[in-house]
Amino acid sequence: MQYKSYYVTTLLFFALSLMYGQSSVITGKVLDENQLPVLGASVSLKEISKGTMTDENGNFSLKGNFEGTYTLEISFVGFQTYSEKISIKSSRTEVKDVELKIGYDLEEVTISAKSKIQEIEALAYNVDVVDATKLHNTTLDVGHALDRVSGIRIRENGGVGSRMQLSMNGFRGNQVKVFIDGIPMENFGSSFQLNNLPINLAERVEVFKGVVPVSLGSDALGGAINIVTNTYDENYLDLSYSYGSFNTHRTNVNAVFVDKNDFTIQINAFQNFSDNNYKVTVDAADLKTGEYFRDQKLERFHDQYHNETFIGKFGWVKKSFADQLLFGVTLGQNYKEIQTGARLVAVYGARHTKGNIIMPSLRYVKKDLFTKGLDVKLSANYNLGKERVIDTLNRRYNWFGDFKEEDTPGGELSYTDLEFQNNNGIVVASADYKINEKHAISVSNSFNTFDRKQWNYLNDEAQVYDDPQKSQKNVLGLAYSYVGGDWNATGFLKNYNQLNKFEESYNPTGDYGDVAYRYQEDNFNDFGYGAAATYFFTENLQVKASYEKSFRLALPEEIYGDGGVLLLGNTDLKPETSNNFNVGAGYWFNLGSVKHLVNIDGTVFYRDSKDFIRPTLNNNQVYQVMDNLADATNLGVEAQVRYNYNNRLLVGANVTYQDLRNNTQFEDGQTIESIVYKDRIPNMPYLYGNGNISYNINNVLGKENVLSLDYNLTYVHAFYRYWPSLGGEGKFGIPEQISHDMNASLKVDKFQFTLECRNIFDQKMYDNFSLQKPGRSFTGKIRYVL
Amino acid sequence: MSLVMVSCSDDDISSEGGEGSENPDAISKYVITASPLASEGVADYILTSSSLTEGEISVVGNGVEQDGTYRYYITNNNKFFSLLYGQGNPGAVTTYQLGTDGNLDMISDFQAETVQSFTNVGDEVLMTKISRNTDSPYADWYRLDTETSQIVGEGQINTQEIVADEELAFFSWMTEVGGKVYAPFMPIKGCCDDSFGTSNPDKAYVAVYSYPEMELETLIEDERTSFIGRYFTSGLEVDENGDAYAFSSSIASTAGEFSSTKPSAITRINAGTTEFDQSYFFNLEQASGGYYVTAQKYASNGKFVVFMEPNATKGSYTLGKKIAIVDVYTQEFNWVTGTPSAEAITNITSNNYTSEDGSTVHIGITTDQGSYVYNVNVSAAQATQGILVEGGNITAISKLSSVEQN
Repeated sequence: MQYKSYYVTTLLFFALSLMYGQSSVITGKVLDENQLPVLGASVSLKEISKGTMTDENGNFSLKGNFEGTYTLEISFVGFQTYSEKISIKSSRTEVKDVELKIGYDLEEVTISAKSKIQEIEALAYNVDVVDATKLHNTTLDVGHALDRVSGIRIRENGGVGSRMQLSMNGFRGNQVKVFIDGIPMENFGSSFQLNNLPINLAERVEVFKGVVPVSLGSDALGGAINIVTNTYDENYLDLSYSYGSFNTHRTNVNAVFVDKNDFTIQINAFQNFSDNNYKVTVDAADLKTGEYFRDQKLERFHDQYHNETFIGKFGWVKKSFADQLLFGVTLGQNYKEIQTGARLVAVYGARHTKGNIIMPSLRYVKKDLFTKGLDVKLSANYNLGKERVIDTLNRRYNWFGDFKEEDTPGGELSYTDLEFQNNNGIVVASADYKINEKHAISVSNSFNTFDRKQWNYLNDEAQVYDDPQKSQKNVLGLAYSYVGGDWNATGFLKNYNQLNKFEESYNPTGDYGDVAYRYQEDNFNDFGYGAAATYFFTENLQVKASYEKSFRLALPEEIYGDGGVLLLGNTDLKPETSNNFNVGAGYWFNLGSVKHLVNIDGTVFYRDSKDFIRPTLNNNQVYQVMDNLADATNLGVEAQVRYNYNNRLLVGANVTYQDLRNNTQFEDGQTIESIVYKDRIPNMPYLYGNGNISYNINNVLGKENVLSLDYNLTYVHAFYRYWPSLGGEGKFGIPEQISHDMNASLKVDKFQFTLECRNIFDQKMYDNFSLQKPGRSFTGKIRYVL
Repeated sequence: MSLVMVSCSDDDISSEGGEGSENPDAISKYVITASPLASEGVADYILTSSSLTEGEISVVGNGVEQDGTYRYYITNNNKFFSLLYGQGNPGAVTTYQLGTDGNLDMISDFQAETVQSFTNVGDEVLMTKISRNTDSPYADWYRLDTETSQIVGEGQINTQEIVADEELAFFSWMTEVGGKVYAPFMPIKGCCDDSFGTSNPDKAYVAVYSYPEMELETLIEDERTSFIGRYFTSGLEVDENGDAYAFSSSIASTAGEFSSTKPSAITRINAGTTEFDQSYFFNLEQASGGYYVTAQKYASNGKFVVFMEPNATKGSYTLGKKIAIVDVYTQEFNWVTGTPSAEAITNITSNNYTSEDGSTVHIGITTDQGSYVYNVNVSAAQATQGILVEGGNITAISKLSSVEQN
């Protein structure tokens, strides 16, 4: 059973990283027959069972107390195992580049040489892993990278920096939780979101669908996304800058310094700037008469976005007291102009928002604490950032950029200048204990605190009535996992607890300036549970099944409102719940020769969800209020095919179909069945997919230079904006959308030059309620990696 | 659906067509709008029907879809206007006519603001967007020409300058009275955690504006009732004599408590005058035995359909579920029979239709059994169940006659 050896390798890898005070280091590089670096190759010293894996550049380094002669073994799926006797004399030994030969004993190495990515995908969970390193030459942000994952659609309101909404297998918005290195990104504020995080920040992105492991300790209804950032245990520098259409500039700096004592400084800084002045086709109104001028192709004129973020960490790695002890701070700010409301018909020329993030953080990781097999992890952060909404010009704009102005105080949407600080703190702690090779238990706890303060700059006196708003949330998870020969399985239990303590202000007499407080307390406590198992029929055929009953607790904003901008609070909100089922299978095979590798996998999923939190209007219909309104079921299927020719040509495609149905049988006290019971939920894409081809050409314009060509296609089937079964001819809908993106990237020594064209055929792309997205755009990028 | 119904009901389509129609071939149809009951993805649908007394219509596979939830409707100049309530955003107003083929034709759309009051003044629609906040105490008004479907005038009213003590005037609605615009309002604080509260709960106010200039001519006050009308609801109606009858719900509040000591009542402003007729007072609370009026629909000859709610369940935004007929001339009050019980009603339409002869008022009622139009015979105070509207709450009932297309 070859795949057993993978676990052994992993253990060795962990064991290795526990070695401290090493006196020697062995470094080298692993390439394939085309001189392309091999990522994830297993490198080991046979005699002493020490090993590591190669990074994206094919490099490896082995640290330890080495002396004498060893057998260096390097293996990777599809290649012959390489073996060489090396004798180590000095403290620094450099092995000459190793070229792996295409192997004919594929079966022997299939699982044992899996990369981290394959390793995670082999878990029992329904999980997809995006290898972010492959996208480092693109100008994608994390959000758009996720858009290429099967089952996921990113919905956004416009160009760079626009608000993104994620939907995954029918869940959307906050029902899907996003994590960065295992920490929930709740309330990180607008300065640190999927839409501004460059893909270069990430090493990989793990996408868990339906069933979320306890290690990601939070309340997610239908899935979780974990962005795993780059970690380097040696000096590293990665600089990149890109410039593109709509005056878009992006810069990314990733620098790591490690000294001899394993003291490390890690810096990650990035910047996005865009005018987003792409053209949209709109009916532009005459400001005086209200008359529409049809189908005008006009530039967006108030849509500038920029953000600047710095993440700095310092601390120690691989010490006896900690594998990682890092202190850090995230500093960032953003500025965003708001061009439109929820629809293009509402156009603004001055409304904008600002935000910042000031977030100290701590991370502690220790393997084999006190006893072998006990691994602990602790992460904590506290966000002191603020968000501000400004709408203080009493103007009405149209799409031509003309405006009329009243000389009285007012705003475009609502006269507002409001700032708030959520004082959000998160502590995530977890411990895993490996009882023996087969049995392990883990416990994980995530604690979240929220204490909002707000400032009204238009009316100091109105602040008297700002409510103290506090909320605490705790999610505790316990899991048992079994790793057998042909199968492994896990079962888990999660406890969800939310305590909302707040004082509600009110005016007891109706006299101006009078204020009193009513103390309120709400507590929610419940349990979720789940299980996942996988079985290997053969080394090439894996099946998976998983189930979870999950909860998504109401967010502070849904409970308390957004400070009077659009959303009023509802302290009676119940959590959303869902029963999630997944069954999937994966199959690996080759077409005659190991040069042609094919992987097919597919998943059928079912979600039965209740008490969806949805917005409704308050009594005088000025504000939105969130309420538990809808039940839905979703039966879907997703499939992917990947083909790899000799690591030079990669072809992949995925498709998702979801049958998301309204399961609310009786609405609003009715005893007759709702007419849209079992109807397809509107305004949600239900058939979509991606196709991707990439090809690498060696020795272009010089030896060692590699040219990579990449083509990506996105398809979204047409869908209705309102209930499909209702209304006659002339229903509002979003037409079929197809977008083609191309990317050419040339690697010359340490430089990488990239040219990218998105939406080549300038197709009209739409999103929520037919908001239009950018047409054709070009971007150039230069990247330097040391 | 057949256009010719064989029936003797007074709701039948006659070949004479609707009001003001000169075309003998013109047909007319009722327009019914329905808003499906669902928690998301809700659009309103405009349906047409030849009868309100029988049969059924459905939004399933049928009806003209309206872009966006929360739409409001007004009929003027034989055109049906569909306004989007956009929570502060401007929206597209679509205009429909009835074609000779019996189908609704969209003839135009134009941009308009989200407003809290819209009313017919001649063949114009006066739309007003009203502030609820002292930070910006202004109401903006717009005049819509229904012939061209364009805005032909606009202006601003400082709503803090109307009453003496700095409370804002929040117009409940506006009504054309003798060529002028009478605008009853709720006095509101617009601040201090009591936005819609007032220190003047025992007073009725009507601001009188010239038209089309919309200049404040006079302020009419009365101390016998609380304010006239309600949020987004007309409280002033004109009869055939030109006298205006004012309906007060007595729902003024202070610090979240209902604070008016005045009963729910009807008062009168006689034609040609700008003061309340102190000799006229119709105490509805007394006449109904403890109910207050939330809305009214004029039939004819001094008779109104009134929507009543018990004082015990007073609410600022409640639409009364118990229907009665009041005769403002004789001060008679009669409960209407034949409607579902108030407890069974889950929704009642606020934008209803009075037949051309003034004898019948058509009201949309939803119970847990679905939505029907109830036809209220005003003189008999008797309602009968009419057409079934499958698909949710009825939001408006109106009528159009066909127009030759250009």
